[in-house]
Amino acid sequence: MPVPRTYRAEGLVLKHQPLGEADLLVTCYTREDGKVRAVARGARRPTSKLVGHLEPLTRVNLSLARGRSLDQVTQAQVVDSFAALKGNLSAVAKGIYVSELVDGFGVEASANPALYHLALETLACLLPSDGQPESELPLRYFELRLLEVSGLLPELYYCVECRQLITPGDHRFSPNAGGTVCTQCAPPDAHLRPLSVRALKVLRLLHRCPLAELPPLPMDAGLARELKGSLAATVEFWLDQRVKSSAFLEHLRRAAETDTTLTPAANARAE
Amino acid sequence: MTFEHLPAASPSLTRLVEELNKLPGIGPKSAQRLAYFIIRLPPEEAIALADAITNVKQAVGYCQQCQNLADVPLCPVCADSRRRADQLCVVEDPMDVLALERTHCYRGLYHVLHGVISPLNGIGPEQIKIRELFARLEGSQVKELIIATNPTLEGEATAMYIQRHLASSGIKLSHLARGLPVGGSLEYADELTLSRAFQGRQEL
Repeated sequence: MPVPRTYRAEGLVLKHQPLGEADLLVTCYTREDGKVRAVARGARRPTSKLVGHLEPLTRVNLSLARGRSLDQVTQAQVVDSFAALKGNLSAVAKGIYVSELVDGFGVEASANPALYHLALETLACLLPSDGQPESELPLRYFELRLLEVSGLLPELYYCVECRQLITPGDHRFSPNAGGTVCTQCAPPDAHLRPLSVRALKVLRLLHRCPLAELPPLPMDAGLARELKGSLAATVEFWLDQRVKSSAFLEHLRRAAETDTTLTPAANARAE
Repeated sequence: MTFEHLPAASPSLTRLVEELNKLPGIGPKSAQRLAYFIIRLPPEEAIALADAITNVKQAVGYCQQCQNLADVPLCPVCADSRRRADQLCVVEDPMDVLALERTHCYRGLYHVLHGVISPLNGIGPEQIKIRELFARLEGSQVKELIIATNPTLEGEATAMYIQRHLASSGIKLSHLARGLPVGGSLEYADELTLSRAFQGRQEL
């Protein structure tokens, strides 16, 4: 049976880049077909029917036509533009991080609906609730579940070396070996990092509990750093490349710590 | 891509094709067509083209003030004393300055960022001329900063970054209105554009 010339898909726009004079090369992660790269003809013209519907971090219904090398976007309609998220710089930076990881772990022409729904679930929770401080916990949840839906979940209950059940203690975590290493084992692994009982408990909780139902967790800077180090290292190990957008997240985090607003000279002028 | 498989091409022609092929939007076939066009040009025209490329690389630098491309220390806009020094418009690229100048409705100064914050491409605030903007604003007479980055995710992120940095500076911050383009259609507009068009509606 011949493959239909056109098809429809619901997807999340991950990124786009200019192509030619007025076209866009759009990368989406679709529920039905996995990662799709398609050309949107004329989408950079202000009067294009597609412009605005294909912005990154937008959930869209797409109509596509199959091409010899690249498919073509014939129609696009926004389902959810995540407008509130796009009005918050930290949430945008986190959203871009999510889209980079979906792009990295997503495979073309190979559907993984769990990955699609995980990305949407995470984007919906990136804005801090009223009165709550900003937290990177949704990103840690996303990283752990991303590894899970990609078949790469780190082992959190047994030692990856001796296969014994992990008991309370100061264990280690190995991104390369794929999970926790007990206190008795000492594999020659340069990437081995300490993993406290608190961090292990949070990882297990992230694995068990949906993001929207996570209870408020008392996170200090040390615990946040430990979780980030373990999960980001695992993600980069499997991706086999640096996650570029993490640098901007780190920049924003440092700026928030030091509160780098304009210098006192300008502030004085304002007064 | 190499062109060593072209037996009829001379080494100098092959080199020209390879160099033209590096230009954006120029594929191998277009590069060959352009190379043969250059060969057929009168010698003085081909030399004028080569001279123009050499000169532009030697002469053009950044304006000390606005970071726009200029072949003198201060670009014509910054050197024009009739321009309003208390208004500064921040744009992504030099071509945006040309587009805004064509409107004849802005008489202030510019600052060119030469890009936007693009985390996916590893471009952060350090890689664009944003530090120069903050340094320029210190002790300046700028009262209003008009952010004219493109209404894309990355353009908006850059605008929010500038806004966050200058929040307590006392400088009035504004950005260009978002909404429907002239010649556009409500039917095909996305919800974000339409909601912003509503928010920015004007009294008749």
